[in-house]
Amino acid sequence: MNALRLSFNPAKTLTRVLASSFALFLFSAGVSAQDVVNRWGPTPSASSYGDDFDDLFWLITALVSVSFALVVILLVVPLIRDRARPGKKASYDHGTSLHDKRFTACVSILVFVVLDAWVLVIAMEDLQTGFWNYPNPDNAATYKVEVLGQQWAWNFRATGLDGEFGTPDDILTTNTLTVPKDRPVSLNFTSKDVIHSFFLPDMRTKRDVNPGSVNIAWFEPVIAGDFDILCAELCGFAHYQMYGKLHVLEQDVFDTWEKEASLMAQAAYDKNDTEAHWAWEWQE
Amino acid sequence: MKRLTLLLAGAALSLGMTLPASDPLTVSEGDEHGHDSSASAPEGPHDRPPLDVVLDIHTDAWLRAPSEDWFEAQAELDPDRFSYVDDLLDIDGDTEGGYQDKLGEYELRYDAEEDEIAYWQYVSADQLTQGRRDYVQFCSSCHGFDGDGYGRSGQHLRPPPRNFTKPFFKFTKVPGHLLPSDESLILLVERGLNGTPMLPWALSRDQLNDIIQYLKSLSPEGVGWRDVYSEVGHIVESDGDPWTGREAEAIQAGQDVYHGTAKCYSCHPGYVTPEKLAEINGLPAGSMPRENFTYPIAKITENYEVQGVPMLLLPPDFTWQDVRAGTTPLELFETIGAGIGGTAMPQWKGSLSDKDIWAMAYYVRSLIETYKGHPEKRAEFMSSLRTGR
Amino acid sequence: MSGDHIHAEPTSFWKKHVFSVDHKVIAKQFMWFGLLWLLIGGLMAMMIRWQLANPGMAVPLVGNLLFSRTDGVIDPATYNMLFTMHGTIMIFLGLTPILIGAFGNWCIPLMIGARDMIFPLLNMLSFWTVVLGGLVGLYSMFVPLGATEAGWTGYPTLSTTVGTQGSGETLWALAVFLIGLSSIMGGINYITTIIRLRAPGMGWMDMPLTIWGMLFTAVLNVLFLPVIGSAMLLLIMDRVFGTTFFVPASIMSGASGGDPILYQHLFWIFGHPEVYILILPAWGLVSDLLSFFARKPAFGYKVTVGAMFAVTLLSAVVYGHHMFTTGLSAMLGESFMLLTMIISVPGEILFFNWLHTIWRGSLRLTSAMLFSMGVIFVFGLGGLTGLYLATISTDIFLHDTYFVVGHFHLTMAASSLFGAFAAIYFFFPKMFGRMMSERLGKIHFWTTIIPLTVVFCTMFISGYGGMPRRYYDHTSASYLAPLQHLNVITTTAAFILGAAQLIFAWNFVRSRWWGAKAPDNPWEVGTLDWTTPTPVPHYNFKEIPVVHTGPHEFSHPKLGDRDWISQTDKLPA
Repeated sequence: MNALRLSFNPAKTLTRVLASSFALFLFSAGVSAQDVVNRWGPTPSASSYGDDFDDLFWLITALVSVSFALVVILLVVPLIRDRARPGKKASYDHGTSLHDKRFTACVSILVFVVLDAWVLVIAMEDLQTGFWNYPNPDNAATYKVEVLGQQWAWNFRATGLDGEFGTPDDILTTNTLTVPKDRPVSLNFTSKDVIHSFFLPDMRTKRDVNPGSVNIAWFEPVIAGDFDILCAELCGFAHYQMYGKLHVLEQDVFDTWEKEASLMAQAAYDKNDTEAHWAWEWQE
Repeated sequence: MKRLTLLLAGAALSLGMTLPASDPLTVSEGDEHGHDSSASAPEGPHDRPPLDVVLDIHTDAWLRAPSEDWFEAQAELDPDRFSYVDDLLDIDGDTEGGYQDKLGEYELRYDAEEDEIAYWQYVSADQLTQGRRDYVQFCSSCHGFDGDGYGRSGQHLRPPPRNFTKPFFKFTKVPGHLLPSDESLILLVERGLNGTPMLPWALSRDQLNDIIQYLKSLSPEGVGWRDVYSEVGHIVESDGDPWTGREAEAIQAGQDVYHGTAKCYSCHPGYVTPEKLAEINGLPAGSMPRENFTYPIAKITENYEVQGVPMLLLPPDFTWQDVRAGTTPLELFETIGAGIGGTAMPQWKGSLSDKDIWAMAYYVRSLIETYKGHPEKRAEFMSSLRTGR
Repeated sequence: MSGDHIHAEPTSFWKKHVFSVDHKVIAKQFMWFGLLWLLIGGLMAMMIRWQLANPGMAVPLVGNLLFSRTDGVIDPATYNMLFTMHGTIMIFLGLTPILIGAFGNWCIPLMIGARDMIFPLLNMLSFWTVVLGGLVGLYSMFVPLGATEAGWTGYPTLSTTVGTQGSGETLWALAVFLIGLSSIMGGINYITTIIRLRAPGMGWMDMPLTIWGMLFTAVLNVLFLPVIGSAMLLLIMDRVFGTTFFVPASIMSGASGGDPILYQHLFWIFGHPEVYILILPAWGLVSDLLSFFARKPAFGYKVTVGAMFAVTLLSAVVYGHHMFTTGLSAMLGESFMLLTMIISVPGEILFFNWLHTIWRGSLRLTSAMLFSMGVIFVFGLGGLTGLYLATISTDIFLHDTYFVVGHFHLTMAASSLFGAFAAIYFFFPKMFGRMMSERLGKIHFWTTIIPLTVVFCTMFISGYGGMPRRYYDHTSASYLAPLQHLNVITTTAAFILGAAQLIFAWNFVRSRWWGAKAPDNPWEVGTLDWTTPTPVPHYNFKEIPVVHTGPHEFSHPKLGDRDWISQTDKLPA
């Protein structure tokens, strides 16, 4: 290749340039992480347990970054220091000494405890106090919604003022869900056809919506506003279009809405149209 | 002997494992995943997986084509292809003139049995097959494998998915007594219907065209596109918006038409106080138009039914429900002008002047923009209209 | 050893090059087959990335040819088909044939000192079965309604006739079944060969770590491919015969039916071991190559074997981490979380041993070595991000987002692929008798690893932002539109990554026919395969070698000037 008799080796230089830019890129990526998150991270958590996700995510990120930085250092040092040179001899070490075995064992335990066990303990608490800590069904404050997923829309049924499913004042909506703030919202899911998944990124929760069985989930919104519902399980060609809006209203505004919605529902109710009455018995 | 014993034991064990003590696939009451399956209800039409879904059409179709004025317009656009021929048809010695298509896709025919002359469009089996395949892929989950509007995903939906075996279409912006044009159907699929699972589908024009031809072919013999008496219409037209730059005026005029000439509050809610309503209509103060006139009145229609049950349709409250076919003034004009086919919402084009219909379009849009999605504002507005609340 | 005689070499063209029972020919057949499908799968990935960065825009150059009915635009149904087939092709028709079919076949007999696999005919059958599977999969793209669009995971009920009509999905299931059958045949062959045909003196702990990797992969193949085979058969029965294994009745009707979650269990009981099936050969190869090119013994050989064994054992009991959002019970979920974290420990030990192998070595930075070190880098990055997904409270948000896509591409695709590249650069001189260009190899490495890191790290960011996977268009939901810029970055890097592979393709093809002639042992390595002449005769070894030394005796103080020793020689006293 050096037929041009250059004073430098082009291939070697190219690889060195590429390698250095790679290192620079990694470094800048690490440094700019916070900015990246601000620009492209999820919207702020809007549910009572949402912060658990954010906090644990960042803890894991810290642990993982330190570990990976260590790996990279342990890769780069030999890459530079230990390259084969005339006279450079490798050390002869099978790693079978007692010291090596002990060291390996210690590092493994340390890694497991720091990386895994710590995170495990936090996660279990998060699950038990938050994500999988379903509200008491008898608690009147719990707002219940039945969600019937289908290709490619979300059908919602709220009880209306009477608090019972399967009655004329059930509030039926398509792709929009209105819930009160600061009250636990308990959800039942099933699907008419294929598996979907109900994803509320702002509330940091997700649950699969399966045909033939009922899944449950819950969240408590702590911020009023308009949030998003996305489908998170491939359900056909319009999976990406299965998009809904979650409206969280202050309690008094919600009461007004609920009253009117119940009345509207009663006006549209047809007792002969049994095929339209898709409620099921509430599952806990 | 030992081997035989082992073999038998193994066989018994595997057999035992395949015969569950209780059906592992049903779940007991109270299970987090389950439902009470102790009742053995009869299977519904969608409880078994569909088998042998047809993907090929083998017969060509002749479907109703648009009428003479469409051909007249086509003849001007493409005179090489379409031309008027004075003696196109010979019916027992009498000649009838009509438009001729050099490519043979359209034909003027005389139906001796019905003694009717009509234009027909040829759709090849190949195109129908292509349309059928696209239909199965994109539409059949709600609209059903037979196009009857009762697909597995279409169950329980209100409004129900369109039944293509009946000649009724609600939101094509073509007056209900006419069949919708190809273009109106394509636009409907492209734009979707607000607030329903009928989303704006990302299909190409070629795909949409084939699907539409296939849908037309779903008309049973003597019905819809296979009916010699049918007429194919077009989207309601207007000479232009007469209210441009005068929106506030338009809204005011629209309110008057809505509550006066057109009396929309007969089905839709009324949005003025009873005093104002009396004033608009020149009635004595205090006369109540109808009870709960700020609420819509649902109407039964026989034309739209699901599993034999006629549908109860609620005329939308513009401050609450979604308007399906678009909320720009033009779209509202077209919808109001054409009416909602097969329902109690009549075709207003012709009954009202274009200017009045445009005014109502502005008025309806103002209601939507001001109150829909703003529950507090709306509650305040509606309670101010409701006497005694 | 019974019958240590040499069979006559076949003479007819068909028996020599097409229906050969020689493991070396079959290895090369698998290699070409896998590389071809990697190309097809890679082109599909480029099309997917195009659509994501430019939603609804016609694909340049080939758009009007491939997608004429939609004016060159990929429509949503075709898009789903593309990512489904991309996954299926890359895993079953790309990586498996190359890593396990090609390198399993090449390395095992040669490294253990055997003349061929113990079941040569079965070996040939396993290749032609995978060809048949590939043809069935290819054919499925041309039936009415086209190939499957239900994801490579094929969850019912989308993959049953409820969600997908036509025969494409059925043919896909059949293709997967056949490919699985091929791997089971290969697995049986590999295990038996390794157990029975090791040369005298080659104890279990004298085998190159590559062989251990292949052994464990083969064990997993034999144990778990039948599970997915059964899932595919049940799916085919549901689709063709109207059974309801996976098709439930509506809960409103109260009728009885099947359970789609059953499929998920069956699929992932296979699916999780599958990712270890893909990575174990790469781990074995990398463990050897790092030692070879650091001129140092593999650090902690027995511990490495133990770690691979532990991963193999645990691989089936962690599968539930793919199903955390399906509504499984808290106890089950937490058990899977704990087990998944436990299975990361042997992986970490492997890392530790690798890093310790190169520490204070004398590194020969050949392309094979660079890619081996690259495996440490990408697997480290990918493996660590697995922690987010093993943890249920973070997985609930991250499941089915691009975070998962980034994670599995780094661990499964990039790591295995880098292992495959390392193996190709390493074994090429012995396989084809010529040297690949080291210069092009190095350029290939750097122009691959940099864009690859960009592509998959931006996915971590978009996943954290909440961007779901398998979406045709991320701009239609207002929540996702701000993340679209990330799609553009990913696509740009992906195109660079794709283009960089052309360097490899050119290097491979050019070297195959016009490369410099290779010496018998260019890398100065002591394993038995490098004691053969180049080209390797059909009988491999004139006399079955007798093994006296381990495979990693580099830089032994008693060796003097040379820093390596062949496994057939004895170490100086």
